[in-house]
Amino acid sequence: MYSEKVMDHFMNPRNVGTLEDADGIGEVGNPVCGDMMTFYIKVRDDKIDDIKFNTFGCAAAIAVSSMVSEMAKGKTLKDARAITKDSVAAALEGLPKQKMHCSNLGAEALTKAIENYEKKNSA
Amino acid sequence: MQIVYMDHAASTPVRREVLEEMLPFFQERFGNPSAIYDIGIDIKGVIEDQREKVANLIGAEAKEIVFTSSGAEANNLAVKGAVLANRKKGNHIIVSTIEHHSVLNAARFFERMMDYEVTFLPVNNYGLVDPQRLAELVREETVLVSIMHGNNEIGTIEPISGLAAICRDKGVLFHTDAVATVGNIPVNVKDLNVDMLSLTGPPLGAPKGIGALYFRSNTRLMPLIHGGIQEMGRRGGTENVPGIVGLGKAAELTLNELPEKTKHVKNLKDRLVSGIMDRIEEITYTGHPENRLPGHASFCIAAIEGEALLLMLNQAGIYANTGSACASKALKISPVLVAIGVPAEIAQGSIVFTLDRDNTAPEVDYILEKLPAVVERLRSFSPLWKKNI
Amino acid sequence: MKFVEKQAPDETLDLVCRMCPMHLLEPGDKIKCMKKGQILEVLTDYDGALDDIPAWCEKCGHEFIGMEEEDDCYKLYIRKAK
Repeated sequence: MYSEKVMDHFMNPRNVGTLEDADGIGEVGNPVCGDMMTFYIKVRDDKIDDIKFNTFGCAAAIAVSSMVSEMAKGKTLKDARAITKDSVAAALEGLPKQKMHCSNLGAEALTKAIENYEKKNSA
Repeated sequence: MQIVYMDHAASTPVRREVLEEMLPFFQERFGNPSAIYDIGIDIKGVIEDQREKVANLIGAEAKEIVFTSSGAEANNLAVKGAVLANRKKGNHIIVSTIEHHSVLNAARFFERMMDYEVTFLPVNNYGLVDPQRLAELVREETVLVSIMHGNNEIGTIEPISGLAAICRDKGVLFHTDAVATVGNIPVNVKDLNVDMLSLTGPPLGAPKGIGALYFRSNTRLMPLIHGGIQEMGRRGGTENVPGIVGLGKAAELTLNELPEKTKHVKNLKDRLVSGIMDRIEEITYTGHPENRLPGHASFCIAAIEGEALLLMLNQAGIYANTGSACASKALKISPVLVAIGVPAEIAQGSIVFTLDRDNTAPEVDYILEKLPAVVERLRSFSPLWKKNI
Repeated sequence: MKFVEKQAPDETLDLVCRMCPMHLLEPGDKIKCMKKGQILEVLTDYDGALDDIPAWCEKCGHEFIGMEEEDDCYKLYIRKAK
């Protein structure tokens, strides 16, 4: 059902946790519909210096969160925003069709965290 | 790595004695039961012997059994067959909200295609149907009531004899889907007082691809598969002889061994349930605590999701099931858990263990060792878990 | 066709929804288990039975008593002759 890469990121997700002094927080989904992700980012010199997440959901949702966090870490905000559901799915060596929405949620949660940071710093 | 299989509601291995009984019917004894020469007539006799054995297991007469390809087909034959045969009586069907899809969708078929009205009878938090409520809903035009005997997702056993008596008094046909119970608890069609009852092979140690429908003598049924005189004209198509032989043998073994099996799986299940409830916090034991299938343990675990739980247990060699339907790919949340009032976010964390004769106490202990760690790990990822909020 | 009313059958076979040739096979089996003089009632919704059952009775030597038409089926009456 899942690629080896998905299983690896599901069994050993990278960057799990929270950041107490996060510069931006993005939350998507809700437990009623099945998946929920919260991303925390630390930004330094316009780059994502540190990133953590918490995810409630299926194996794909957890693997997607982990992959998004790995892809985003160290990237400029602009490059991080360019992460899409397709690039995440590709990095995971594919996702089953019915799980593509998980991939979407991951990219969306990251974008929200970046927007949250930008909003706080535009004032 | 240790392997622990506790998903016997999904599939069981065929028992060795059953397989051995079946094998000759693939090659040496391959004759068509409808043929008039010796090797056909001989097979016809074998089929009738198996019919007798299946009937014995459930307290029926041989002529009241029709073999089908599965429990789902038996359910379809009961619902569609009885409703079509009684179309002049009325256009109202009652089913519970926690029926198997083969009953639910057969009923919905009449609703969508043929102007029937279907009433979905609700259940309480234990998954039990209320007899009083059923009595209020049965009316002149009601042609069929179908309420399952045991539920494979929450383990609850319905008070069938009382429900059937209500229908009998009002002259309404009553069917029960006993796929989850026949082979797991004693089932007697006279005691249950039902007009029709579906069963399937795997819970008895028979193969997949064979089931049966009991119908009380003179119950009118429109065949689903029109054909020749097989199954007395109630189901066309050359008989699945090896499957029928397997079901017959398994029924015979089950009749003798059921009390022992029931005791064995109940002991193990009790050990599993109390062990899990002691070791994991914020967990709900779903279904009825006593009136349930002896080897059935179902839970909802807060703040985690069922498919992730199953896959992580899979990595530890533990095979279980979930009602949370991310794994079933159809719906996000199990309709059964919704029907018994489990909040949607809790219903996501559903896990079901179904035990059988081959499970052991060390296997239960292995689950008790692994499951809490897996739950703790998944909770450590979860934004819903209290320590992460 | 001979029409009759208010027969008091000893046995009833409900063959509604059953296809040819069950309307002949089942009465054949059933009547073997009955006593001489007893009446078998056959319920069927198969038109062909209206010709077949009287013909079958003649062939087997049983008395075809007659039929009654119901809302949803025919009722055919046979007296076992031997």
